[in-house]
Amino acid sequence: MEQEDFVVQMKGISKVYPNGIAANRDVDFFLRRGEIHAIMGENGAGKSTLMKILFGLEEPTSGEILVNGEPVSITSPNKAIALGIGMVHQHFMLVPSLTVAENIVLGMAPTKSRLFVDYKKAVQIAEENADRYNLRIDPNAKVVDIPVGMKQKVEILKALVRGAKILILDEPTAVLTTQETSELFKELVSLKEQGFTIIFISHKLKEIKQITDRLTIMRGGKSVGVYETANISEEEISRLMVGRDVILEVVKEQSQPRETVLKVRDLEYTDRWNKKMLDKVSFSVRRGEILGVAGVEGNGQRELVDMLFNLNTPDAGSVEVSGKSIIRMPQNRIRDHGVSLVPEDRMTYGIADLATIEENVISDRFDEKRFNSGVLFNMREIHQESDTLIVDYRILSKSRRQQVKMLSGGNIQKVVVARELSSKPTLLIADQPTRGIDVGATEFIRAQIVDLSRNGAAVLLVSADLNEVIELSDSLIVMYGGKVVAYFEDTDKLDDITMGEYMLGLKHQTEEEIAKVCYE
Amino acid sequence: MSSDKRLFLFNFLRGAAAILLALLVATVFIFLSSKQPLTSLKYLLLGPVISFKSTGAVFNTTSFLTLLAAMIPTIFSGLAVCVMFSANQFNLAGEGVIMLGAFVGGLLGIYLKLNTGLHQVVCVLVAAIVGGLIMLIPALLKVKLGASEMVTSLMLNYVIMFVILHFLNFTFADRSKGATQSFPFQATAKIPEIVANGTKLTWGLVIALVFVVIIALFMYRTKWGYAIRMIGINQAFAQYSGIQVGAIIVLSQVVGGILAGMGGSIEMLGRYNTFIWRELPGYGWLGITIAILAKNNPIFVPVAALFIAYLDKGCQLMAINSDVPFEMIDIIQASIFLFFAAEQFLAKYRQRIVVRIAQRDLALQEAAAGQEGSKS
Repeated sequence: MEQEDFVVQMKGISKVYPNGIAANRDVDFFLRRGEIHAIMGENGAGKSTLMKILFGLEEPTSGEILVNGEPVSITSPNKAIALGIGMVHQHFMLVPSLTVAENIVLGMAPTKSRLFVDYKKAVQIAEENADRYNLRIDPNAKVVDIPVGMKQKVEILKALVRGAKILILDEPTAVLTTQETSELFKELVSLKEQGFTIIFISHKLKEIKQITDRLTIMRGGKSVGVYETANISEEEISRLMVGRDVILEVVKEQSQPRETVLKVRDLEYTDRWNKKMLDKVSFSVRRGEILGVAGVEGNGQRELVDMLFNLNTPDAGSVEVSGKSIIRMPQNRIRDHGVSLVPEDRMTYGIADLATIEENVISDRFDEKRFNSGVLFNMREIHQESDTLIVDYRILSKSRRQQVKMLSGGNIQKVVVARELSSKPTLLIADQPTRGIDVGATEFIRAQIVDLSRNGAAVLLVSADLNEVIELSDSLIVMYGGKVVAYFEDTDKLDDITMGEYMLGLKHQTEEEIAKVCYE
Repeated sequence: MSSDKRLFLFNFLRGAAAILLALLVATVFIFLSSKQPLTSLKYLLLGPVISFKSTGAVFNTTSFLTLLAAMIPTIFSGLAVCVMFSANQFNLAGEGVIMLGAFVGGLLGIYLKLNTGLHQVVCVLVAAIVGGLIMLIPALLKVKLGASEMVTSLMLNYVIMFVILHFLNFTFADRSKGATQSFPFQATAKIPEIVANGTKLTWGLVIALVFVVIIALFMYRTKWGYAIRMIGINQAFAQYSGIQVGAIIVLSQVVGGILAGMGGSIEMLGRYNTFIWRELPGYGWLGITIAILAKNNPIFVPVAALFIAYLDKGCQLMAINSDVPFEMIDIIQASIFLFFAAEQFLAKYRQRIVVRIAQRDLALQEAAAGQEGSKS
């Protein structure tokens, strides 16, 4: 065996979670010093678990870890940091009300006379490091005010200031625009040149090809191989990830839009921090078409969806479904009007995690006549309904009595989709329907959404995933700063560079162009 | 054995282990504080069902039946708490509502003239309705104004108690008696013992067990119980699904009030001849203990109620017959809660079971996949 300079060696790692999911099964992972190494795999493949083990957030059930050739036991993130391992989580771990500099030195703040935080020194530390690693930040800005891209840089700096030599980035591009992504990649390459080792977790094939040296592919909790990135094609990676060939492009017929179902006019909303989240938003969605809402997260999409399902009340404007205003209408009546919602935050709204699959799929229809005989539930009908949905929507589970908490992310989302699509909605609002789930489930859910629209439903698709929103939508609008800044009638000619310019507010269309989305 | 069953068994055994450990802790305290620890322990652990005579130990049927009798009000209050806690409503007014139910049932038992049979039914039903109505106070304050039901219901207990004491003192007191008490209940209103032997084991126990079944069905086989449980697990999900969260939150507390009111009146008309409670009876608090032990599952309520009754009796006997103070019961109960509530208790062992199940499942899956592969 040739002698290689491995900075991290993980041998035979297995991990079984308390809920019985075997997330890692005898995984080997070797990291060369100074490389950018991708870990790829579907959701539930065990990538995050493996990295959590390396960062001391989870303890392996069995297996061995060597850092710089020494066997170590990483029992906490503090230990990982002491070993020079830093992690940038998918969901940022920053204090929004503190400044960038304060966040960077948090927990190790320089002090004056051991009592007061030396803020000037903190800013100085932040600036020095930002310069050294070429990560541009504003140390005095409050984290709540800075864009997502900069938050990520703050996270990276936080790790570097703490002495990390190995950086774990968990799906770092999930929340970034195309421009921000390419900026991040430049910075990562520059870090690599300075001798840092980077582990890069992602689903996105193109990015992996672009930036990494080697990649480890995981499937079903196991490692299925380590490859030099240059020697493997995107198709091959995707085949190894899912164990079969995946059609990444969505096949759909031309849309034939009919009458308007959803009519949103001049919607306005100012949040409690006095930030204008919706500014005269107007658009319509017609039967038989998918209207996409593109935009960097936090530009009013969440507020918009909340208004459409009465989870919040607008300050002004109107929302009509098939001619009826649904503002302040209780959710059961909104649903009676044929509206379904696949919520963005599936763990908060989409499911009751401790309830069974069965209890989750009937939550919008449990009081229907067919499921009740007298005062009691008609259990036979309910069992039949849930069994049918489990089969139709390919929910991988032991039985309908299994707790939803025990399922993988993709299967949890299938539970939500099964409920929301099987109610035969006239309007489906799909908010980030495939975020963070595996390729197989993504493909399945996208096909279901297209199917629904071609069978005559109006679909509003909100997605921060540019590829998804372009591929899936018939036409789309772009939101920036609470406004609709662009409308594209046809998504075929769109590319991510143009889109990125609108999404970042560099460009916007004229009011006349945008107003076309009202079809009046 | 299926994996579900194994984990169920584990949870059951964990509960048993928690109780055993708690008793062990109690034993340590008894050995520390008592000059006759073995005698004390004997009364604590065996006293409730066994009497010690010079001729030897014999099973004490009468004592056992009084234990069952003691379960009557606590089954009702346990069920009430189960329903309310299942909806994540930490309503603590069960205590006051039991007293109110007892008072209302008692008054009707004194002043209403009806035939026996009908009389008891009317007393208990009216008490139940009043109990349900009074729970509207914390429930509506929560839903309409966002006031914490925990705070309002806790205060409600004392409001109820003092209002009852006011009316007992100034309106309904039997002045011919030395102590403050009402006039006696009519014989037509009394809930009779199953066997007339002075154990106070009335038909109330049968009614209580019937309600265990009714509430279990209500929680797991009706749309209202389903809605209550979904709200308890994830209220945001329930709202988004179209469940009428406000209405169901009110419903859960009204059902709790109905059960508590019913329990109070049945206890009063079964055990006593006049209304003599001058403070909160404590059954409501025990109901919380019982609901926690039963993990909010109505079916386990009688078991938990029996256990609490046993422990209570054991401590009483120990206090009477040895030098250990009655307060020991608080230590034992507290340690049981500690072990019960501690999720991590025996977590390592649970993890080992989970790992074993997962590995076996994987092996089965792989075997199945292999078979499929060889077929194709």
